[in-house]
Amino acid sequence: MSVSPMRKIHAAIAFVLVSSALTTAAQTATARIVTAANTFLSKLDEKQRQSVLFAFDDEKQRARWSNLPVSMVARAGLGLKDLNADQRAAAMALVSSALSPRGFEKVEQIMEGDELLKTKGGNNPMFGKDLYFISILGKPSEKDPWMVQFGGHHLALNITFAGERGVLTPTLTAAQPALYTLDGKTVRPLGQESDKALALLNALDEGQRKHAVLGFQTADLVLGPGQDGKTIQPEGLKATAMNEKQRAMLLDLISEWANIIHESAAAARMAELKADINETWFAWSGPTTADPGRNITAYYRVQGPHLVIEYAPQKLGGDLSMHVHTMYRDPTNDYGRGLTAK
Amino acid sequence: MKARLIAAAAIGLVLGVPASAHRLDEYLQATILSVEKDHVQVSMRLIPGVAVSSAVIASIDSNGDGVISEAEKWDHARRVLSDLSLSVDGTGLRPRLVSVDFPQVEQMKEGLGEIHIEFIADLPPGGPRRRLILENHHESRSAAYLMNCLVPRDRDIRIVAQHRNEQQSVYQLDYVQADASLVSPGSEGWRGVHRWTSAVGFTSVFRLGMRHIAEGTDHLLFLLALLLPAPLLVVGSRWAGFASVRRSLVRILKIVTAFTIGHSITLALAALGFVRVPGRPIEVLIAVSILVSAMHALRPLFPGREAGIAAFFGLIHGLAFATTLGHLGLGRWERVCGILAFNLGIETMQLIVVAAIMPSLILLSRTRAYGALRIGGALFAGIASLGWIAERLLGAHTPVDIVVNGVAHHAVWIAAVLFLISLAGWLLTDQQTALSEPIPPPALTRT
Repeated sequence: MSVSPMRKIHAAIAFVLVSSALTTAAQTATARIVTAANTFLSKLDEKQRQSVLFAFDDEKQRARWSNLPVSMVARAGLGLKDLNADQRAAAMALVSSALSPRGFEKVEQIMEGDELLKTKGGNNPMFGKDLYFISILGKPSEKDPWMVQFGGHHLALNITFAGERGVLTPTLTAAQPALYTLDGKTVRPLGQESDKALALLNALDEGQRKHAVLGFQTADLVLGPGQDGKTIQPEGLKATAMNEKQRAMLLDLISEWANIIHESAAAARMAELKADINETWFAWSGPTTADPGRNITAYYRVQGPHLVIEYAPQKLGGDLSMHVHTMYRDPTNDYGRGLTAK
Repeated sequence: MKARLIAAAAIGLVLGVPASAHRLDEYLQATILSVEKDHVQVSMRLIPGVAVSSAVIASIDSNGDGVISEAEKWDHARRVLSDLSLSVDGTGLRPRLVSVDFPQVEQMKEGLGEIHIEFIADLPPGGPRRRLILENHHESRSAAYLMNCLVPRDRDIRIVAQHRNEQQSVYQLDYVQADASLVSPGSEGWRGVHRWTSAVGFTSVFRLGMRHIAEGTDHLLFLLALLLPAPLLVVGSRWAGFASVRRSLVRILKIVTAFTIGHSITLALAALGFVRVPGRPIEVLIAVSILVSAMHALRPLFPGREAGIAAFFGLIHGLAFATTLGHLGLGRWERVCGILAFNLGIETMQLIVVAAIMPSLILLSRTRAYGALRIGGALFAGIASLGWIAERLLGAHTPVDIVVNGVAHHAVWIAAVLFLISLAGWLLTDQQTALSEPIPPPALTRT
């Protein structure tokens, strides 16, 4: 008896399914992100494509990000509000493909917070989750370097890809309100950044605290937007003066930023930062306690040879625990310069 | 001020408290210093909040025409500069403007404008340990100050400490700088610290140790004050008569050795991280140690036990040495080499100083003039130590550093003149009064 045509078809479908599953699994992260970028670009018309694409080394576009609302500091690229539903889904799929699940969740929570500023401010046109911009610098490639930028008020992701390497620095994450409820759930977009730092501070002994806690106020980020390419003198408590457990806590705190990017890039980054840990400093400025379930009201900084993290509560709004700006940098590799320099 | 507060409150109401996105009633003033060997570059970002911007704009736009002219920009920048004070090692500096950049008036009104001012101040030549102080009093009522410095591009410069007051309006930057005269052109110099395995690293820390003693006048003053009565005998409760040359030599050797053992122990313990002591109390104790040895030089407090005292205070001085070494940021293994090199440097310099001053002390102790030297020296050390105690304990400003450093600056000449005087004095005394014990000149030249 010959094989029935139906069986042949079944076998063919099974083959396609299995092989496509295998290729997906074998596909590298960068390849996945390149596919997502090309899918997004294919959904745009010519004019939109021109708006979204920049040269890879366009320094002006690289630096065109801020903590401020887009009405105050104009962003370039394509705004989400100017995309149709299909295009917008593809844009968010691209951002999501470049980030870890928790990283993408953070981004969504920051945008939801901004949506609250809009609705609670009587439909204030300055805010809202429509007011975020995407841009692509260079040609999406598995080999050559290129960048995705995504941001708006309180958010600036600058993600550089170079082969399998992925670099998230410089990135600004911020939150106002830093605590809100959405669909009955309490959300703190940057709650872990606050809680883990406080836990580390509390794990320090008296002598260590004397070094870690600086005796002065710090009103804002030192290396915020526009402050690219600067390496300030580190201060505070050096991790060599910490015990093994405290160093692990410091690394766990750092992971809140390092793990925003997709898993394989995050793993490489964490390995680099772990190797640096003994050269890493932790400095705290401000109140050393916080109300339970709320963010700290103190500034802190984590700095190492390849890292600057700043957490700066903002006076604006009246409650320091409700408004925070944070900065994540690698002075040797912002915008992937360290990888792409010839 | 009241008007500003009302304005701030009004804006808060209009925007609604959660829905405001810009700076309100603060005037953010972020300053970053960048230190080079012969100059310091300072860049300031001034961002007036919405509620204070109109006052700031009014002060810039002096003719009130709503436009900020080039002349008004530079005038304003000069006014900002006049609200600052910048000094190095206690000497006031004259900064000169390099660039000014002003935003649009509209941007400033919204609290978004950033004024950028850059200036440079030349640094006069100085020792390897330098202290820059920058004070910013510009618009102090509304100001939120930030002060920082960049990691120096020049690797011969290393930041040792940054201190600020609570508002960050006063910023003190301590740094060390390898001297060009010590680092021959093309040699690794301080860079060698990073490449520890090379012999170059060893020599640069050895030199650092030497310089630390040569420039660390407080350590030397302690030792010298303790050595002052070494050639003397105690009669009753006073210093009187003089000991034999051999006895004086042995005593001096004992004191120096005891001091060395003391500070070596704590230097090693602290540098390896076994003990950690805050810097300020140590600095105070060092000043106290000078006071004690100065008092001992006036009236014998612990005759015959100088070596024990030297060892005890040596323990404290060692902790201060460790702080200097700690600032080099060496790893553990590098530190072991570092301690050895640093200690040898300290020892060498100590021996040079002792060898230079000892013949004079022994010669002069045979004359009546020695009483004047002993009392004068002890008073000088005592007053200096009191000044340091006041400075380090109460944060008082005293001219002690300037005076002591001034004296130390001419140390070689002072030592030479002292030697000539003592030689002359001894020759004269020798002829006038018979010495109870002859001093054979060869014993002196040996030192």
